[in-house]
Amino acid sequence: MPRFLLRRFAAAIVLVWLVATVTFALVSLAPGDAAAGLADPRVAPEVRERFRRDFGLDRPWPARYLTWLAGAARGDLGVSWVHHRPVAAVLADAVPATALLAGLGLLLEIAGGLALALVQLRRPHGRADRALTALSLVAYALPAFVVALLLQYLFAYRFRLLPPSHTLSPGGELLTGLPRLLDQLRHLVLPVAAIALTGAGAVARYLRGSLLDERGQLYVLAARARGCSERRALWAHALPNALLPLVTMVGLSLPFLISGSLVIEVIFAWPGMGQTMVAAALARDLPLLMGGTLLATLAVVAGNALADLAYALVDPRVRL
Amino acid sequence: MAGAAMTKRTRSACWLALVLALLAGCARRPAPPAAGGEVVVGILADISTFNEYQSLGDAYEAQVMDLLFPSLLVEQPDWQEHPPTFAPSLATRWETSADGRVITFHLRPDARWSDGVPITADDVRFTFDVQRDERISAPGLEIKRFIEAVEVVDPHTVRFAFSRVYPYQLMDANDGHVIPKHAWGAVPLERWESTDFGAILVTGGPFRVASHARGQTLVLERDPNWWGAPRPYLDRLVFRVVPDSGGQLAQLLAGHLDLVEVVPPREAGRVAASPELELLRLPGRTWGFVAWNNRRPAFADRDTRCALSLAINRPTLVESVYHGFARLGTGPVLASMWAFNKALAPLPFDPARARELLARAGWRDADGDGTVERGGRPFEFDLLVPAGNNLRRDMALLIQADLARLGIRCRPREVEAAAHLALLDAGDFDASLTAYTEATKVELASVWATPADDGGSYNFAGYSNPEVDRLIAEADAAPDFESARPILDRIQELIVADQPVTFLYESDKLVAMNRRIRGARINSGSIFFNADEWTAGR
Repeated sequence: MPRFLLRRFAAAIVLVWLVATVTFALVSLAPGDAAAGLADPRVAPEVRERFRRDFGLDRPWPARYLTWLAGAARGDLGVSWVHHRPVAAVLADAVPATALLAGLGLLLEIAGGLALALVQLRRPHGRADRALTALSLVAYALPAFVVALLLQYLFAYRFRLLPPSHTLSPGGELLTGLPRLLDQLRHLVLPVAAIALTGAGAVARYLRGSLLDERGQLYVLAARARGCSERRALWAHALPNALLPLVTMVGLSLPFLISGSLVIEVIFAWPGMGQTMVAAALARDLPLLMGGTLLATLAVVAGNALADLAYALVDPRVRL
Repeated sequence: MAGAAMTKRTRSACWLALVLALLAGCARRPAPPAAGGEVVVGILADISTFNEYQSLGDAYEAQVMDLLFPSLLVEQPDWQEHPPTFAPSLATRWETSADGRVITFHLRPDARWSDGVPITADDVRFTFDVQRDERISAPGLEIKRFIEAVEVVDPHTVRFAFSRVYPYQLMDANDGHVIPKHAWGAVPLERWESTDFGAILVTGGPFRVASHARGQTLVLERDPNWWGAPRPYLDRLVFRVVPDSGGQLAQLLAGHLDLVEVVPPREAGRVAASPELELLRLPGRTWGFVAWNNRRPAFADRDTRCALSLAINRPTLVESVYHGFARLGTGPVLASMWAFNKALAPLPFDPARARELLARAGWRDADGDGTVERGGRPFEFDLLVPAGNNLRRDMALLIQADLARLGIRCRPREVEAAAHLALLDAGDFDASLTAYTEATKVELASVWATPADDGGSYNFAGYSNPEVDRLIAEADAAPDFESARPILDRIQELIVADQPVTFLYESDKLVAMNRRIRGARINSGSIFFNADEWTAGR
């Protein structure tokens, strides 16, 4: 295990460095730069030149890259050119919002998918199973933005039951305690539902398939032969094995907790990483782009490593 | 009888009461409108900073800064009739010296920052020092280049000395909001770029910041200590970040937003049809054009460029893309501006005349393949369009179809915005569909003077006319607007005749506002022009 972790750590450092280097090079070599937004006759052309000089854009990109790398190695990600704040502070604002939304979405999608699969398994190939299979396929196939817009239209605009966007009502920042919590929860319902609905379909499809497989395995038959109830055979024997593919799936979804979903965040005006990073890309805010890329890469590496670890924990056949 | 006397007495009493009430009404100032209420404004992106001298000149942010920080004067939205005039604000009056080189401002003695510290001439001087500092990226250095010194005469008097006399002295002196020296002066200028000024925020406008949830909501509340009390009448102005215009419109129609600054033309009908909403159509300050790269042989001659302008059906373009919410472009000065040469008219759509001019310029379809050639080279080019801008993409397709009828092969090519600018900067393009937004200052040099070799120009078309260069320099040196005006008229005539670009449209600014907002005098230069006078019935 320690060797595995050490190996993984070394590989992670190389991977993160590679991704950061390629990203820096690509953004720097792409035509145009952060001064593009200043092409406006209301701003004197000299301002653009001064901006380029102030932010080092007049230096060759390898020199700028080395400066950035030296800073990043010391834990200094620089200052965002758009937000005028340290990159770490900008990310620290955006990550919790995204993690809350994506985390709840992920939890609900697993719970929903599991519930669907269990209902389907009560009578495989029965009417309910077929109907739910169709439903989960539709949910899986629908793009997230369609589901999000549909939910928003129905519940926020048509029936006006829930707020259409944001994390709080106007002035909700001034609330405290329970009223604030309730306000936050109301705002979470639609975006979380949009994430969970599309994801639950996929989880249900995976789980139904693997549960059906596991239920037909000899060890489940053996458990039944030993006098195990049908329920116990399912929950204690078949389910833990059927969940194995889900471990990989959840592991791969972990980076989503950090990188966020642009579509959901834009539709629900959710101030998370998706929005922050797209805005940074459009403005060519290099320090922020690099900070976000580093964080997302770390999340991918950590997600994969955690999935492997979890696999080893739940499946004794796997050795690290 | 008694009843009649009673009636008489009652009637007299009523008259007396009425007269007294009228007298009382005359004696008192009119009662202020009912205070209170909240207006929720939709914005596409959050405010990036509360210190405008950290910012890169975002126009929307400047409007929000109007609500938070004082300026010496307030520019009036009267630039359509004459050069903009100014109304007193932090400065109650000002006078210009006999030689025109010194303007002295007298500040309100009762002006206070939100923490109670008086706003003084020291703050004005500090602001000027910041604006002129090389370490600050904001555009002040260029705007204030003719101001030699700002001198504090006494705590409430400040004197601006200019190196020359020119028409925009007052405008340049007034440019930028005054910032608090006592709160921000301690931050070394080298550290301004990384300083969170929201954490040390002291304001001096009609509103102050109540709360700011980054990326989603900025709540401003009335500052009861502002010098204009009892104004502002609104309790709160709430800015909600809704990052796409479709979402903004949906929230506006559902009543979650009260004010949206940019309504897409195709959605104007939905806003106008809503009984709760008012659609304001303002003469906009944005104009769109096709920049022909004058340095390339195909576009180097005037006849060809004029033919291209005549061949594009601009009236249809304005109607179909802008749904009529735009006017045909005429020349380098917006038709809604005081400096516009009213003798000029937009070029007509005249394909027959375009054909004649093309033939005169030597373009002929000699090989019969449907494309005209000159010197053996077919007339074909790429038309750059910034990616993601649907209006301009639609325009490019219409232009492509119009030019195809004359045997010109135009290929619209969408390019990412920053890459688009890089190509324009490098002069590495044939034609580009571009738009500019103009300030109220008529400043022609950056777009129309021959670009210097080291760049630093918005004249991406590479237009060069020595006579225009000479006249621009002459207009810039003019001491007043009256003497500049005939020169500006002549410059416009020359540029329109040269057609270095095709002036496509001048778009209207469409603002949607809930009818419960009263007293708003919104203009295309500033949404919040008189926000301190707004009221909002619940």
